[in-house]
Amino acid sequence: MVQHALAFDTPPAAPRALTALPTAAQRLWFCAYLPNLSLEASGSSKDARVVVEEQRGIHRVLLACPAASHAGIQIGQSAHAALALLPTLRIEERSTLREQQAVERLATWLEQFTSVVCIAGPDLLLLEIAGSLRLYGGLSCLRQQLAAGLRQQGFTAAMAIAPTPLAATWLARAGRRACVREAANIARVLRDLPLSCLDWPVAICDAMRAMGVIRIGDCLRLPREGFARRFGVQRLLELDRALGRLPDPRTSWRAPERFCADYEMTGEQSDREILLAVCHELLLSLERFLLTRQLGTQQLWFSFFHLRAPATQMPLGGAEFERHAEHWSELLRIRFERVLLPEPVIAVRLQAGRSQVLPAVSGRLALQTKPGEPGRRYSMSQLVERLAARMGCQAVQSVATIAEHRPQRAWRLLGLPGNSVVTKLAAIRCQLCRPLWMLPEPTVLSAEHGYPWLQGRLTLLEGPERLETGWWDDDGIARDYYTAVNPQGLRLWVFRNRKHAPAWYLHGFFG
Amino acid sequence: MPRDASSLDKLLENPRLWRGRSPARGSAGLASGLASGYEQLDQHLPGGGWPQYALTEILTEHYGIGELRLLMPALAALSRTDADAGFSEPGWIAWVAPPFQPYPPALQQWGIDLSRMLIVRPKTDKEVLWSAEQALSSGTCAAVLLWPDRLDDQSGRRLQLAAEKGNSWAIAFRPLAARSEPSAAALRIELQAHASGTRLSIIKNRGGQPAVLHDIF
Repeated sequence: MVQHALAFDTPPAAPRALTALPTAAQRLWFCAYLPNLSLEASGSSKDARVVVEEQRGIHRVLLACPAASHAGIQIGQSAHAALALLPTLRIEERSTLREQQAVERLATWLEQFTSVVCIAGPDLLLLEIAGSLRLYGGLSCLRQQLAAGLRQQGFTAAMAIAPTPLAATWLARAGRRACVREAANIARVLRDLPLSCLDWPVAICDAMRAMGVIRIGDCLRLPREGFARRFGVQRLLELDRALGRLPDPRTSWRAPERFCADYEMTGEQSDREILLAVCHELLLSLERFLLTRQLGTQQLWFSFFHLRAPATQMPLGGAEFERHAEHWSELLRIRFERVLLPEPVIAVRLQAGRSQVLPAVSGRLALQTKPGEPGRRYSMSQLVERLAARMGCQAVQSVATIAEHRPQRAWRLLGLPGNSVVTKLAAIRCQLCRPLWMLPEPTVLSAEHGYPWLQGRLTLLEGPERLETGWWDDDGIARDYYTAVNPQGLRLWVFRNRKHAPAWYLHGFFG
Repeated sequence: MPRDASSLDKLLENPRLWRGRSPARGSAGLASGLASGYEQLDQHLPGGGWPQYALTEILTEHYGIGELRLLMPALAALSRTDADAGFSEPGWIAWVAPPFQPYPPALQQWGIDLSRMLIVRPKTDKEVLWSAEQALSSGTCAAVLLWPDRLDDQSGRRLQLAAEKGNSWAIAFRPLAARSEPSAAALRIELQAHASGTRLSIIKNRGGQPAVLHDIF
């Protein structure tokens, strides 16, 4: 140990300047380490239970609840041995998916405390809390709230607070309820921690132990160059980050912007009222999700899962972006009446479509409505939603005109009203009246002595209005339009084609 | 004598009693009609126009003889009036199951605000009546035009009630064959076209008299 000048205790000049930056000093990280996550992720119960994991073909106990430990079950025992000790034992297979979901649920909950929540590992949560201290009434208050919340949700957590994320992580893993506020104190606190809390590869830890390095403090005393050469630069960087000599940026976790929630039944269920109640429950959680984000959504998908049949899908669409559960519930009732469920349902899933920021709308006092105005049951958009919920979106349309001389192109369908912004399109000045009824395609009229014929010879009243346009695309026309009347008194809109097929056509009725 | 007078009052209170020319019937209010835009027709309609908040039936054999032209001035007025009224949404006009495509440029020529048009295309006759009833009772549609395949007395009554409830004007287009069927409509008009012109006959006219008009267009 000749190269004392390079050891960790006396850091080089440049990194010291880094730690002196005010931003680095202001950060404060809270770490929650969940050692019993695999047991707690599947909910809490009073029964004795263990989580097992397959290791080389044998199911071994990974974690045991206190009741099970009390009965003498030890970690690492085979599942059979555990059952022999306690026949009433409940054995669960470890599910990393369930663990991940539990951690994400926790992260969502933790987002109320700070905007920077990181899932640093499968069982590690990191929160940057320097910015939240004042709001939550100081460090001890915030820490108590976090601890109480975690406990309430049924998680045992080892917690630690430190100015760098890695230091907080290591302290939490080591089970020290430490709270370090000054960056200068980190090295002193970390010194006593065992190597096991570093989560480094076993080979490295074994090599270190062989060298007599058993605590982090021993690591810090080693010369930097030799340490980097033996154990890799990565380990050196980690130590530097933990001590705050190097920045350690973290990406904060974001809750998914799309809502997706499941509800699992205890058994097969075919009672529609109960299913509706379950759907309502899901809609309420959707409302909470959207409310915290000030969002609204326009499209929902319900999936009803069956044991022996593919899931039944039920989309639900609205005319406007909406978040209220009551609103969706009403649509759901209409739609659900017409859904055929082939089998009893075992689970229901609700997924929300694209969401959009929903600005708050000022309420209106009842005083402002006109005295003679009828009691309005619901708004236009609600009416459209009701119609579309029963008959499908394509059954409800609105129209607009297009500045175009060709009659068949002078208008278009707009789909759901309220969905699109209605543009005021310039109307083309027309020479003649346009008919109120339009045929989808012009139909050929028979002709006699050059006059069109429809249940009798047509009398041409007005016209011609010559339309010759559209040469720039494949749909060009060259037509003379007339208003005509037949012996039965039907007023018709007819035209004579001047180009390809010189014949009379019927294009509309003057309804 | 006073006993007789009170029993007469009681009798008059009975809603099933139809009181001839009395214009103020119930809360629906026939007092003022909606000007049809055709003076000759207005003269024969009680209140000087279309009965608002009620069901009107138009019986025709063919489409294209002016059955829509008859309504256009009133519909154009409805689609625009409320726009200035401030608080309330302007009146929408719903078309339920029209036999052809209503042609937007023509509607615009008649002065209808296209942004207030709603076209509903249900697949079954049951859905036609359901959508019409929804639109009528919602209170947002000023007028609902519907083309049902068949409309029995009971459905007609439902439409009439929905129109009263939502303060809306229901217009049902029916074939001439429906003339002999009983109907709850406040106004029934038969429209027939000949080479010589159009004949409009008012078959049923609540609060007014039947009449026959020629060539009102």
